[in-house]
Amino acid sequence: MTKSQGWLALILALAIGSVLVLRSLPLSLGLDLRGGSQLTLLIKPAGAIKKIEPNKLEAVKDVLERRVNGLGVSEATVTSSGEDKIVVQLPGVQDPRKAAEVLGTTAMLEFRAQKPDTEQEMTGLMKLKRLLVAKLDQLVGRDKKGPDVDKSLNELLKSLNLNSPEGASEQQQLEAILTDTNRRIVSLFEAPAFTGTHLIDAGRQQQPNSQAWEVTLRFDRIGGDEFAALTKSIAGTNRLLGIMLDGNSISEASVGPQFATAGITGGSASITGQFTAEQARNLEVQLRGGALPLPVEIIENRSVGPTLGAENVRNSLVAAVLGIALVGFFMIVIYRVPGFVAVLALCLYALFNLAIYALIPVTLTLPGIAGFILSVGMAVDANILIFERTKEELQDGNSLFRSVEAGFSRAFSSIFDGHLTTLISCAALGWLGTGLVRGFAITLAVGVLLSLFTALTCSRTLLRLVLSYPALRKPEFFLGSPSHP
Amino acid sequence: MTSSSGALLREPSFRINKYRRFCLVLTIVFLILSVLGLLLSWLSPIHAPLKPGLDFTGGTAIQVERICSPSCASFSMEELRKTLPANAVVQTLDAGKAISVRTVALSPAKSGEIVESLNRVLGPIQASDTQINTIGPLLGSQLLRSSLLALIVSLAGIAIYISLRYARLYAAMALMCLIHDVILTSGIFAWLGLLAGVEVDSLFVVALLTIAGYSVNDTVVIFDRIREQQQVLPDLTVEDQVDRAVAGTLKRSFYTITSTILPIIALIFFGGDSLYWFAVALLTGVLIGGWSSIGLIPPLLPLLGGKLPSKSSTDNPELVA
Repeated sequence: MTKSQGWLALILALAIGSVLVLRSLPLSLGLDLRGGSQLTLLIKPAGAIKKIEPNKLEAVKDVLERRVNGLGVSEATVTSSGEDKIVVQLPGVQDPRKAAEVLGTTAMLEFRAQKPDTEQEMTGLMKLKRLLVAKLDQLVGRDKKGPDVDKSLNELLKSLNLNSPEGASEQQQLEAILTDTNRRIVSLFEAPAFTGTHLIDAGRQQQPNSQAWEVTLRFDRIGGDEFAALTKSIAGTNRLLGIMLDGNSISEASVGPQFATAGITGGSASITGQFTAEQARNLEVQLRGGALPLPVEIIENRSVGPTLGAENVRNSLVAAVLGIALVGFFMIVIYRVPGFVAVLALCLYALFNLAIYALIPVTLTLPGIAGFILSVGMAVDANILIFERTKEELQDGNSLFRSVEAGFSRAFSSIFDGHLTTLISCAALGWLGTGLVRGFAITLAVGVLLSLFTALTCSRTLLRLVLSYPALRKPEFFLGSPSHP
Repeated sequence: MTSSSGALLREPSFRINKYRRFCLVLTIVFLILSVLGLLLSWLSPIHAPLKPGLDFTGGTAIQVERICSPSCASFSMEELRKTLPANAVVQTLDAGKAISVRTVALSPAKSGEIVESLNRVLGPIQASDTQINTIGPLLGSQLLRSSLLALIVSLAGIAIYISLRYARLYAAMALMCLIHDVILTSGIFAWLGLLAGVEVDSLFVVALLTIAGYSVNDTVVIFDRIREQQQVLPDLTVEDQVDRAVAGTLKRSFYTITSTILPIIALIFFGGDSLYWFAVALLTGVLIGGWSSIGLIPPLLPLLGGKLPSKSSTDNPELVA
């Protein structure tokens, strides 16, 4: 019996260990249980890159990680998924709009000089852009008491003879014109002199005497030299310096004649577009994180409010407890003493399971909990096979002890096969599935593996322990239903 | 394997092959009904054997909970529709307390705007109860592909395992049984989709795979029993072998199915909305799987004639005490 006692000690140690693990390591809950947003970004091949190589995936992930850190969401995680997807989890974020904006843009910064002899065209376009922006602000109610821009805007639109799409609302028409105007402005600039790769830091500050914010930039040495050369080339002319973000002009500035000899030196500059505090902050975060090496698109967004998450936790907890209770009741009714032992083993099973979730750690999602609940039902299956076998042996007139031992060893082969086929399904799910599906596969697989251990070791050790008490050593306690006398 | 084998020698109290015709006819009827459901669903406006949910079609689903105290303020559907994209589908749930909106896939910015306009028209809404799901169309078709692949891989894996452990005939039987389970479960959901608008999502595929992995358990128990009997009673007819194996394992199959169903029932009644159809799919699948391992394979085995293949049991993994 020393071997059996060894097992008992091991089981006790594992149980105590599990309780300690659960007390010190909290279970990590998925976003569907705690509330939050999950964004999946697809990296899109661009230019010469047709296939996303692992190093590109890693590079995109790094940039996104820096941007997520800049967002200041606690416990946010960035993980790669498959060959070309990045999953960003933002616990507690209910409205992922800001995050989507910050994460989803490439943030490619370019510095360009205006083409020579385009000054007149530029002036007209800049005026049109200003009016359009003002008009749009009025239309959407951002700016209620702005100057009346209708007259000059209409005159200008007429003079430019612009066609707007048919059947669209005034707002949509104006937006289309604005996009076109922006495109024309960009076309008046030369190819980029240099890009944001030479940026070493970005910041933001409020402009003096104004509501508007500006974003400050600091270049490395090469960037500083390039910037000086660029500003020198257009200083004193009427040509503008354009700062483009993802192909859109976000700022156009003239450079005064005093810089004609050396350009703007010192390695820093500021973008004085009419930024709101929020826009300035977003741009700062993006620029600090660096440009994405490849464009991304948000292809999945799952957002769950925290109350809804708490409700999910409550529901699944009730279902889990009730599920275990029903199975326990069923086992005791059918099998009496061994049934009781099986319930004990089941409780150990649940405890070990949770401890493993905390240790790995497995992030519990709603389907994950469903997997756990389902595995509870499957876990006692092994016990049923063993006890039925034990009953048979008893009916054949074997001694109680021998019947129990035979029950365990004879039922093993079908238990093993049954568990293995379920594991094969789990492997297929875990290998091919993503996100939620994988969560289910992991919890079910952990459950199935554990159930092999608890059904064969815990039940067996506990049953031997029970058999060592003569008062309980009566076949009728083991036969349950007296169908065969 | 020296100890008693009295249980194996006993005359079976129940002979499944007496009911062979009944079992096979029932199976065929079920199969026809299922295939009919899948076909009708394909011919109906659904245009697919099962009504695909958001996970597969791609799109955005937004659900908001209204604050209703003392009662829900009335709102005009007309006005609500004006604020939504052209082909949005609006559904009221929970007696008007919750509203769900389905559209094509929207950017997070657009989804946020819709939540805001819902708040304006239906308001006030409980912000912390809002749920937004967006699946890009590309992701949806990818998910469908990987789901089907997972199903095939898992069925093939199980078949290969059984052929290694038992024999090729048993593997073929188990595979047939699994395909039967998948068709019947899908058939029921095709009918549910046609009659009640129930959609299948990625959790449905998870349910199918779980059923595949699980329902083969009961089948394996019977195979295992046949193998054991063959050593004690090698000269029985196939029919007798099968009948004895079924009778000897019927009770344990019934109990294991019950013990698996109990937690699923708890999940159906208390697991909340998100897991409801998943749990229903699991329940149907486990029941169908139980049926096919008792009512489909055993009556079919004797029809195949010849002797049942037996592998020597020495390569069984035995638990050493």
